[in-house]
Amino acid sequence: MSENNETNTLQGDDIKINLQLLHSVVRLNTLLMATVSGVIGGLSLFLITYLSLFRGLPEPGHYLNLLGVFLPGYKVSLSGAWIGLFWGAVIGAFLGGMFYRVYARSIESQVRRCIERNRVGGDLMQTTLRMSGKHLGLALGGVVSIGLVITTNWLVIRGTADESMNAMLLSNYLPGYTVSFWGSIVGGVQLFFITYIICLIFSWLYNIVAFSRGGHSCE
Amino acid sequence: MTQKVDVDKAVLMAAFARINVWGLAIAMGTVWALMIFAATAILIIKGAPPGVEVGPNLALIGIYLQDYTVTWSGAVIGAAYLWVIGAVFGFVLAMLWNLTHYLFITAVVVRAAWWKLMAD
Repeated sequence: MSENNETNTLQGDDIKINLQLLHSVVRLNTLLMATVSGVIGGLSLFLITYLSLFRGLPEPGHYLNLLGVFLPGYKVSLSGAWIGLFWGAVIGAFLGGMFYRVYARSIESQVRRCIERNRVGGDLMQTTLRMSGKHLGLALGGVVSIGLVITTNWLVIRGTADESMNAMLLSNYLPGYTVSFWGSIVGGVQLFFITYIICLIFSWLYNIVAFSRGGHSCE
Repeated sequence: MTQKVDVDKAVLMAAFARINVWGLAIAMGTVWALMIFAATAILIIKGAPPGVEVGPNLALIGIYLQDYTVTWSGAVIGAAYLWVIGAVFGFVLAMLWNLTHYLFITAVVVRAAWWKLMAD
């Protein structure tokens, strides 16, 4: 690849960003986010399964067993917890990686602001992340709404849409949602906007706490 | 050349910025608490026909969160639980994220130092 393809003007002709470096760090961060999400996803499902088993309930995992519809082999049992660990790790890693790929689109604009405000300097390891609510909302909103569309249509494809009373309960929060193709689209759009707003609140809170404690941001 | 180095450093600063552990813990705890409070409140406000329990499925969260019910007091109890759980989750997530970055950067620096030593 030529040098021209590897660099891109960000502000005027004098400031160029090394796209090869940018893409490398995004790939690395995607891998790290997938690893962290996979570990958390797997352990969470494992612990929830064990908690269900040892809470002394008459029917342990009566509802949690419904996850077996989406996760082959999963059920609330000692062996099922290990299968849950596997699926939780796989799905967590996939969603975490996908989430970061979308969120990483904010890095280029962060670099631009960093240079424009002449904030480059100081200890690399002491820079604090300033969260972008807009990009967080796009990334997380996209992941959860696509997740809703996929899981709903999985119920439609396997022919159990009419029996999916638990999924139908989502209509309490997402008016117009039904276990059907169009219902999943309606629900997905609403879920996207709800998640987007939650992410704006979340990042606003994070930035307030992080930078009231003396954090130093590149931006 | 200085400009090039600064731009590269800006990329690294943006990509390897540390997550503020307390910031993520407090923000995640607060948002999770608001979410369960809102989920409970919506069902209470919608209500149910006379003699029918409000939100029997959401009430199953009580399996994991002792004393949680679909009532106003239950919403407050659920919010308190979720604040703590969300804060712990955020804390662990931020620690893991920062730790993986730290380990990776340390490995890169050590490897570079090793090759420099070998070259000398």
